[in-house]
Amino acid sequence: MKVHVDPERCQGHTLCAMIAPDLFTLDDVDGHSSAIDGEVPAGLEAKADEAIRSCPEQAISIIP
Amino acid sequence: MSTEPVTDEDAERKKTRYHFDRHTPEYREQFADVTAEMLDKCPVAWSDTYGGHWVAAGHSEVFELARSAEYVSNDHDPQHERRGYKGISIPTPDVGFRGGFLEMDPPEQRYYRQLLNPYLSPAAVARWTPLVDELVRASLNEKIESGRIDFVDDLANIVPAVLTMGMLGMPLKNWDIYVEPIHASVYTSPNSPDIARIQASRLAMRDDMMGQLAGIRANPRPGLIHALATAEINGTVPPDFELLGIIALLMGGGFDTTTALTARSLEWLSEHPDQRERLSAERDTLLNPATEEFLRFFTPAPGDGRTIAADCEIAGQQFKEGERLWLSWAMSNRDPEVFPNPNEVDLARTGNRHHSFGLGLHRCIGSNVARMVFKRMVVAVLDRMPDYACDPAGAEHYQTIGVIQGMKHLPASFTPGTRIGDGLEETIARMQVVVDEQGLAEPVTDRKGAADIK
Repeated sequence: MKVHVDPERCQGHTLCAMIAPDLFTLDDVDGHSSAIDGEVPAGLEAKADEAIRSCPEQAISIIP
Repeated sequence: MSTEPVTDEDAERKKTRYHFDRHTPEYREQFADVTAEMLDKCPVAWSDTYGGHWVAAGHSEVFELARSAEYVSNDHDPQHERRGYKGISIPTPDVGFRGGFLEMDPPEQRYYRQLLNPYLSPAAVARWTPLVDELVRASLNEKIESGRIDFVDDLANIVPAVLTMGMLGMPLKNWDIYVEPIHASVYTSPNSPDIARIQASRLAMRDDMMGQLAGIRANPRPGLIHALATAEINGTVPPDFELLGIIALLMGGGFDTTTALTARSLEWLSEHPDQRERLSAERDTLLNPATEEFLRFFTPAPGDGRTIAADCEIAGQQFKEGERLWLSWAMSNRDPEVFPNPNEVDLARTGNRHHSFGLGLHRCIGSNVARMVFKRMVVAVLDRMPDYACDPAGAEHYQTIGVIQGMKHLPASFTPGTRIGDGLEETIARMQVVVDEQGLAEPVTDRKGAADIK
């Protein structure tokens, strides 16, 4: 599975990177998030799920 | 605006009603009950208070409304240059100017955010952490040998204020010109005998602010004010009163909110010593979720006003252009649909999509500052005053929670400890040299590394 951050919805709340720093990178200038390219590494699926559930803007989704 | 429906259609739209007055002491006392009742029966309701306005309490309703920027406006237009909208406060204060970009709509709002984001992003804020640690250490030094501290006056009022000065590009030592008027004007009612003194301190603050803006224009010094003083917004230079509104917004956002969060959280930890020990022992994993939980539970800024900008139906409710709306971050943060056991603090709560920094394009621009400063203050208290006990007789909450859910005083006692390094005044002077020599207040696009403190 992969994770995706919708740049139109993300407002830089930063919870995803707080929860799963290996899956999300925050932009230096505005703090908006982007997901890593490629598959979620094994063992981090639960963190990905928690990041999705924690996003105040509901900006993160799973790409099967 | 009439408080009573004028047509049958109007009456039908406003048939769900709730008398909502968040500026009364009763609202503070009955907050949990009022919240539970509104969430259960009327997550969006019409209230006849303050000229009549909608109140959104439900989590999903607040979520939808706050993110509908095309229908829901932040604009404040006291000079009636556009549609005369009334901004984010209910009732509207009689000030005659708008409160920075929080009372603007895009695209104008976006220009300011893009201008200031490079000073307030997570990467920008992280540069200040070593300096904040120094200010916290020195603030605690002033009280550590006595075994007594007021967490509001002696810590949580000081550190956010000094840091805000630094980020603005103002002299750090000027923090005490601003801290009292900003803190006191939030909790002092207009008919208090103290109001004359506070108004005088507000005038001194305004004089200093205008002097700083002119001074930075004449002798450039990096920081948020420099960005504003040299800004062109959509091709024009904004007038000074607009810039002063923005500086006041940055200070108002930077001072009393983090103070409130810190005081309320330290009070709760004193009342729950087992949880305090747990937080201290498990801080590597618990400090982040605990911070989000304190943000959710105490919601320092309890909500924002808006104006409906076009007839619309959102969250199942029909709204008319010009109607006023209160988005309650505080009540939506207690919605059991999203937060199991919403009236309990769970330091390890997951899926905590609280609304304490707002939502959508007006997300609090200082959220990264607030989190960082809060965490550094709490951790230092846990380390140096681990057995502190707040004095319930001396703890003084704001009488009302309509604007900020804060505290005036939070005295505590603890086993005395020893000073580490110098005191507050000397530290502020040393930190001024660090800020100046290292260009710490530059935007992160120009300067990346953290403060280097010898």
